[in-house]
Amino acid sequence: MNNPTIEKLKTQFPDAVQDVSEFRGDAVVTLSRETLLDAARFLRDDPDLQYNLLVDLTSVDRRDLGIEPRFATVYELYSIPKNHRVRLKVPLPWDDATEMPECPSVTEVWPAANWHEREAYDLMGIEFAGHPWLRRILMPDNWVGHPLRKDYPLGGEPVYFTADREDPRFAHLGRQTMEGPSYPSELPEGVDSETHLVINMGPQHPATHGVLRLAVELEGERIVSANPDIGYLHSGFEKTGENRRYEKFIPYTDRMDYLAGMNNNLAYVLTVEKLLGVEVPPRAQYIRVILAELQRIASHLFWLATHAHDVSGTIHSLLMYCLRERERILDIFEMFCGARLTTTGMSVGGLRRDIPGAFPDAVRAFVRDFRGYLKEYEAMLTDNPIWLSRLKGIGVLKADDAIALGVTGPMLRAAGISFDLRKAQPYSSYDHFDFDIPTATESDSYARYLVRLREMEQSLRIVEQAINRLPGGPVRTDDRKVAPPPREEIDRSMESLIHHFKLYTEGYKPPVGEVYGMAENPKGVLGFYLVSDGSAIPYRLRVRGPSFVNLQATNLLAQGHLLSDLVTLIGSIDIVLGEVDR
Amino acid sequence: MDAIVLWLTSLFPQMAVPTARLIVHIVYAAILSFVAPVVLVVAFTYMERKVIARIQDRVGPNRAGPLGMLQGFADAIKMLTKEDITPAGADRIVYNLAPGLAVIGVVLVFAVLPVAPGVIGTDLSIGILYVVAVGGIGTMAVLMAGWSSNNKYALLSAFRVVAQLVAYEIPMVIAIIIVVLTAGSMRMGDIIAAQNVPFLFTLPVAFFIFFVANIAEIGRSPFDLLEAESEIIAGFHVEYSGMKFAFFFIGEYMHLFVSAGIATTLFLGGWRGPGASEASILGALLGFVYFLAKTVLLIFAMMWVRGTFPRFRIDHLLDFGWKFLVPVGLLTLVAVALVLKLPFLSSPVLQWVGLLVANVAVIVVALAAVSLAARRTRSVALRSVAGAER
Repeated sequence: MNNPTIEKLKTQFPDAVQDVSEFRGDAVVTLSRETLLDAARFLRDDPDLQYNLLVDLTSVDRRDLGIEPRFATVYELYSIPKNHRVRLKVPLPWDDATEMPECPSVTEVWPAANWHEREAYDLMGIEFAGHPWLRRILMPDNWVGHPLRKDYPLGGEPVYFTADREDPRFAHLGRQTMEGPSYPSELPEGVDSETHLVINMGPQHPATHGVLRLAVELEGERIVSANPDIGYLHSGFEKTGENRRYEKFIPYTDRMDYLAGMNNNLAYVLTVEKLLGVEVPPRAQYIRVILAELQRIASHLFWLATHAHDVSGTIHSLLMYCLRERERILDIFEMFCGARLTTTGMSVGGLRRDIPGAFPDAVRAFVRDFRGYLKEYEAMLTDNPIWLSRLKGIGVLKADDAIALGVTGPMLRAAGISFDLRKAQPYSSYDHFDFDIPTATESDSYARYLVRLREMEQSLRIVEQAINRLPGGPVRTDDRKVAPPPREEIDRSMESLIHHFKLYTEGYKPPVGEVYGMAENPKGVLGFYLVSDGSAIPYRLRVRGPSFVNLQATNLLAQGHLLSDLVTLIGSIDIVLGEVDR
Repeated sequence: MDAIVLWLTSLFPQMAVPTARLIVHIVYAAILSFVAPVVLVVAFTYMERKVIARIQDRVGPNRAGPLGMLQGFADAIKMLTKEDITPAGADRIVYNLAPGLAVIGVVLVFAVLPVAPGVIGTDLSIGILYVVAVGGIGTMAVLMAGWSSNNKYALLSAFRVVAQLVAYEIPMVIAIIIVVLTAGSMRMGDIIAAQNVPFLFTLPVAFFIFFVANIAEIGRSPFDLLEAESEIIAGFHVEYSGMKFAFFFIGEYMHLFVSAGIATTLFLGGWRGPGASEASILGALLGFVYFLAKTVLLIFAMMWVRGTFPRFRIDHLLDFGWKFLVPVGLLTLVAVALVLKLPFLSSPVLQWVGLLVANVAVIVVALAAVSLAARRTRSVALRSVAGAER
């Protein structure tokens, strides 16, 4: 194993590197807790390594794996200039005397770690020493326990509702009508509510795209700070995933970023396939690309619709125009898998079934028409003076800040960084297609608008190439341990029948190991971290939602702008709260 | 109206003329303040929803009544049955007074609106000045509503409304001054009589300024900052419900009609048109039809703008008002005043041509100044977006 990163780390910190392993091409370095900060700085600053992007920070409770110490934090690092990855793992020695295991915070090295560490603190109960504001992020402030720990049961928590407590009609609900313990609400640090006007934007607000709450500190109409408060939609996808078979989690992925179901499906099945070591037939790969790119267009269309709507007011016509075209994409999805929004369109090892006969023509017709529509949208907005004045110079996020905050996707590309996983680390045969990565240098909301429009054009190019060069053959792997045999084969072969039976009663069992899978979603990098203990159920399932990470930039972007600009900003970050809260 | 008075006195010979006049005016006022709101709101909400729907490739209301035409009545019934809510900590008196004021401020303007030949509440000698003066009441209503609601969003909206309406009242008044200067009177009847050629064609710049300032005055898109629902939710009326909310709604749509009506009177020649005259009932009816047609045309233009324009930001809006509309207005005012006093433009036709030339010159100067300013600040964003890594 001659990975330059590992060699360098070994020579630099000979005592600290406790273990090195590799599984399915993912290198994992186990470091001691004491050297974590030094190693992190070294990995970021060394000119040969330059791990400037902290893709993900998570933690594992290894109680049932029988590994001591019980908790470990995991850092997935990526170097944008060098295009390489490494995973750090830091075991956290813990004696039961202290309430939580402790880990040094890496927020000063990668500011992106801020929310990730809060999430690990919240859900896994890990104390991060040196974190600027360690509070629960997804669960309510008064929650007892840490849900992702293995000794935390699934379900069975009391649910507090204060409403209708005295109403006899609800008496039979019993415990559900208990009064929740009250706790003082806390303003984020540094917010001055004496001299400034603090308004609660959300959770019910037309421009927050879901249940996002922003505590906005205003001086007149000028924003002093805008602090996002999330978690209203938290539904424990990770915990659920750790209690379901691999295949059964695919429907959950639809419901994270529900505007990009296909892309979520793709990222997840790719990760599971990586864990299993399964090859997917080329036809399935091409169809996946078509579906993912159509979904990207649909997601960007929805973004454009709501963005124009937020910036303009109730009745800007673009909202309806964009939804009209998105409708056609959803029709194509319906043709393929019967569902429109929550598609569950892909399955591990390929696709559930081949595309119907009318599919290619429908896609071609859409590609042909959509080019014209795109020009229509541009005519309405691109040179419109009001649109320009509302977007230009609003929310400048420079490349350095963007990378430090872990921001990916169109936001990063609008800052001039040409980083796209479809090019950098091609998956699902994206390297077969000819397309560009649109970038801009202004890094403001208008640049992000232009980048997303150009991305739609590029997606059209990819779809066109893929549909025209669609190879023949099967759409599902013939690995009978992963994909069920065709119906007619079961009648003839006893072995097939056994495979079928085993697959549906037990599921497939990946080997022991851990992988990290990433894919370029419309909103940025979607990452899945899977730890397998050899059973049919993932031991640890972690989701890195691009919306969650990108949302961290809100406060930085909003400072000094007007309240009206906050609406532009939320739109131009392009978040889906289903993914933020998971 | 005099014709009706005559008819009344001939019908009841014992009735004195002043009594008949009083009765006619009371009936007219009753129509304006009770029937007109209902008819106008129902008609224009329906029209607005249909027009916007067509622009957006939708159908619009089509359930209640034939073609959905009873939608407005359905909405009104819904409003009447809603719970009336007063937020805790609201200033009750002001809070309850504001919706009423919003409607009263508009109804008062009707008094000087010539809707047909001879049909006008009272043809005041300072008619148009009265319109400007009374228009301030609507602003007061919004300010009162925003302040008394005890809601931060409503308060922000109240801030905005003061800034916006002050900024746009001034260009509007300048545009009105230009018209008054040209017509030589502030009386509505005289202004209409002066328009042998509608002022739209001789004073296009003044019309543009008046039209834009008018949209801002009513607070419609793209100047709908005071009720920007994506920013400050609904602004000043966020806490209102039921009939109190409906009053704001009525006020808004009547205001829409009234301001379009004033614009028609000032620039489109009011009720004037072939065959419209005060002499006969038929002529008066024809005049009313002309007035209505022109007004609806203007309202349609406002709806069109609403369907397709992004919203201004508060500072851009103020910039546009103070730094563009006001200077252009003043420039036009000076130019028009000069043209009117030029000795060799004695015949009316020559004077029209002179006014038009002056207006076109102002447009050219203004556009040149704007494009110069724009060129200075234009950045290269469009060019910088390029497909990298080809």
